[in-house]
Amino acid sequence: MADRDKLQILKDALYEAARDHGSDQRLFSQRDLLDMHVIPQDNLVLLIQVIQILCDEKLFVGNTTASGLSWRWRSREDAKKYTSLPNSDLMMVYAMVDEAGADGIWNRTIKNKLNMADSLMKQCIKYLEQKGYIASMKNVEHPNKKMYIKANLRPSDRATGGPWFTEGELDTAFINELQEIVFDFIKQKSTYTSLGGAVGTQGGGGGGAQREKVPKKGVVQGTILHSEDAKGTKRSAGEISNDDTAAASAPTTTTAKKMKPAKPQLLPLPAGYKSYPTVSDIAKFIHHAGITNNTTLSEADIQQLVDVLYYDGLVEPVKVNGRKGYRVTRIPKQDTRTCNQRRLDHDPSKGGIITSFMGVEPSASGLMEAPCGRCPVYDMCEEGGPVSPSNCVYFRQWLDGDEVKEQVISI
Amino acid sequence: MAVIKEKAEFCTLMVDELYGQLPARVYATLFQRGKLSIRLITQFSKLNARQVKNGLCVLQQHNLLFYTVDANSGEAEYSVNHESAYNLVRAGKILEMVDNSYGPAGRDVMQNLLLLGQTRVSDLVAAYQAKINLANDEDAWLDDKKPELVIKSKAQLNSVLCRLIEAELVDVIHSKTFQSAHEIEKQVHKEVMDVYFPNGIKGTKAKVEFEQKVAEGLRKVREESKTLKRKLAQNGGASKRRKLAVGNETNGAPEEEEDLDPALDPRQVIRINYEKCIVELRSRRLVQYVSETIGEMTAYVYGQVLKQLTKNISRCRPDPLMDSLTLEEAKETPSVTTNEILDKVKTSVDLTLGIGKIPGKSISKSAAERLIPFAPKDKIPFMSQEDSDDDDEDGDYSDSDEEMDTKKENGDAPVARMSRPEQLRQHLLLLAESQPGFVRHCGEDEWTVDFKPLMENLRATELDSIIEQTCGRQGLRLTRILRTKGKLGEQALQSLSLMRKVDLQQKMLEMRLAGFAHTQEVPRDNKADPKKSIFLWYCDTEQAYSGLIAKCYATMVHCLQVLEVRRQKEKAVLSLAKRTNVKGKEKDMMRDESYARFAKFLKDEKLLMAEVMRIDDTLALLQDF
Ligand code: SF4
Repeated sequence: MADRDKLQILKDALYEAARDHGSDQRLFSQRDLLDMHVIPQDNLVLLIQVIQILCDEKLFVGNTTASGLSWRWRSREDAKKYTSLPNSDLMMVYAMVDEAGADGIWNRTIKNKLNMADSLMKQCIKYLEQKGYIASMKNVEHPNKKMYIKANLRPSDRATGGPWFTEGELDTAFINELQEIVFDFIKQKSTYTSLGGAVGTQGGGGGGAQREKVPKKGVVQGTILHSEDAKGTKRSAGEISNDDTAAASAPTTTTAKKMKPAKPQLLPLPAGYKSYPTVSDIAKFIHHAGITNNTTLSEADIQQLVDVLYYDGLVEPVKVNGRKGYRVTRIPKQDTRTCNQRRLDHDPSKGGIITSFMGVEPSASGLMEAPCGRCPVYDMCEEGGPVSPSNCVYFRQWLDGDEVKEQVISI
Repeated sequence: MAVIKEKAEFCTLMVDELYGQLPARVYATLFQRGKLSIRLITQFSKLNARQVKNGLCVLQQHNLLFYTVDANSGEAEYSVNHESAYNLVRAGKILEMVDNSYGPAGRDVMQNLLLLGQTRVSDLVAAYQAKINLANDEDAWLDDKKPELVIKSKAQLNSVLCRLIEAELVDVIHSKTFQSAHEIEKQVHKEVMDVYFPNGIKGTKAKVEFEQKVAEGLRKVREESKTLKRKLAQNGGASKRRKLAVGNETNGAPEEEEDLDPALDPRQVIRINYEKCIVELRSRRLVQYVSETIGEMTAYVYGQVLKQLTKNISRCRPDPLMDSLTLEEAKETPSVTTNEILDKVKTSVDLTLGIGKIPGKSISKSAAERLIPFAPKDKIPFMSQEDSDDDDEDGDYSDSDEEMDTKKENGDAPVARMSRPEQLRQHLLLLAESQPGFVRHCGEDEWTVDFKPLMENLRATELDSIIEQTCGRQGLRLTRILRTKGKLGEQALQSLSLMRKVDLQQKMLEMRLAGFAHTQEVPRDNKADPKKSIFLWYCDTEQAYSGLIAKCYATMVHCLQVLEVRRQKEKAVLSLAKRTNVKGKEKDMMRDESYARFAKFLKDEKLLMAEVMRIDDTLALLQDF
């Protein structure tokens, strides 16, 4: 009896000691456990006894590694789940799911590894699910596999696909929205607005003043930005007094004043500009703006987003003294408005399906203007063939446009 | 000398359009059959000998043919000079370019050279003289309709010609002008063999020497077309003469200097030198590109830089045979200093425009002013984002340098008023910092342009914009990912592009059909079960280029064919408009309906020809610049 009490005490002591010495992932060898000086006189037999009890109570998980046996501890709640299971089949299935951790496990894997009958396995899973011990999950890498995960775990990034996925689906709306915000941020930070800038220049703050003029939040909320824009316009119309906005051909500043305010323009910043936004700047901005309240985006995530913008030809990296910042491409063609503003201003009735409000249209290329550039039957078009330039409807449309109808009527 | 089918077709149509059916038929025959004698042309083209000769004559006049005399039969054999034929489409652009740089007088002379083909100087002078006489004949122009003469005197004509020759836009015909490059090479080979290696070439050293001698010989032939230019240069060059005559006045009236130019040898036969014209067109294209990516003012500055730098560049793409072996390459690439550029910038231009104004302390001077003394090795332009070659050296001194900067510039007013050279430098530095590398800051206040990588970059940009227009921005995204990363499987592509699987698959299919992307099958094991294979996507840029080039030609052909169809349709109206009593007064003389059709035809013609020229812009970029 006394022995059993002693073992009970030692067991609890060893368990607590192990918990003190590391996380539930740490593997303890026999030596490690002895060195905790819980077991009197380094008594190996006693240690084995204690460990056995811990394993029975599911508080320790045994592992065989190359260097021999080792153990890690398991939390009491988890252990209780195990012990509450009525039979060993359930326990084994639960153990498999448990081991798989945040990546989850495929039901076929469980079946194969445990060599279990299909129906039995299904029963087990059903039981465990009802108990709330495990849950089914979706893995983006294998969308068609039935996967299970411990109910109290969040699926890993690998399984969910990271912040870009919502319930196993790539959240393109979210990505696009975020991209627009990032793009606007880069645009605003990497260019100079020729209109408001003159004020800043004279006020002494220069770029700094211009920078602060549009508060960071404004980028996120189109309406605020809108009012900021209006303010900028008013101010500069009244105060601009010199050459900044005057075009090369504009003879006097007064005409410039009259003509220009309506059309603010983006200019490139001088070479060697040190503050092109870096990925970490962008990440900070996104964080502070609090746009992504229930997802945290790491710098790597933002880098991914910026890379896509780069691949889209919307931004380009600039290296100044080894610091890699980003700026928008084709600055003189950029719209001064934010994406959101452009969307609000866009009048769909005026035609044209706009797929993106970011950046500029690709520059026109002669080839693409001609009907053949986009012709669906280009490959079989030949003089003398079924489709040929002489009977080409696309050219007729292109040249005659609306007149086709008139001609039809006149005939 | 393989010519792609589309190009042959286009050149023939172009000849047809400009010089009529007869030469076009001869030309088509030559394209189909290669080198032919008159006898054979007659046979193949089903024209009679007189017609063939007529056609050849026209073609020859416009430098559209090469010929050689066969040593055995003594018969002349003709073949097509397709480059020349293709260049016909650029006539409009060349005229515009000359107009911009040399004024209407230059344009007028160029236009005449275009119309006449190669011309003896004396003939050209006589033609102008006749015009001048007519214009001066007061009696002939009683009804004050006297035409405004662009060229008012022989001296002016001479002077304009001198300018054009100095610019290499016009050069001289010589004995070998009508031989194809291949033919010339053969001859030079033979000569070199005969003179230097009568006993054959032995050993690598001799081989190298042989190649050098050949290159030398070829260069000599090439130089022959520049005899007039050289002669002018011996006379001190136009600018020098001008300086001597006018002293320090920079805006001397040009008319007064005409007498200073030496009279050109009237026996010389001159023609337009398209090679050089294309160099000028390239500069224009580059300027346009800068104005899109950086801004108008910087583009203007860039134009001045290019003007200086291309003065001595005769062709866009150096000839691999002649130019790679010369010392030219080893020699430094030409550069231009800030002051040289400044001298050419118009005083009315406000250089402070076009760049944002920010206080000096947010600028890293050392980064902006960084010198890159050597041209970049042929690096793959698409890898630019990954390119980190200059990372390390930068990192080393960045800190101390920034300190220094702030200290130095804090004392100044936030945006100090810059001197004019400094304003100019701002634009140049911006060009140097730009992603495509418009200029290279190769020495203290010295600037140069590395055309090869730059044009490669520009080509890629053109391809990108075509892809974007064909397959949308997502198509562009996928292409650029593949270019940067190489071959990729679908999974990897998906995670890099942040696209849904279905969207991605659809896009890739679209791109594959358009010829912009390709797949490669990699079997998982040696059973090569296609179901288990991995499929990798990749982009073959060269293939994309050649596909686009063919498409450009084909599209131009289609434009011309459509034009011809329309011309046939409106034949009646057009022949009416040609009648002498109608011509010039179409609106009054024709019935309303006819006139409407006539006007519509003219409009279509203009549109189609303009389109052909626009496509040539793309084409030129892809294969000539
Ligand atoms: S069908 Fe018309 S548009 Fe299409 S390739 Fe032929 S000519 Fe061009």
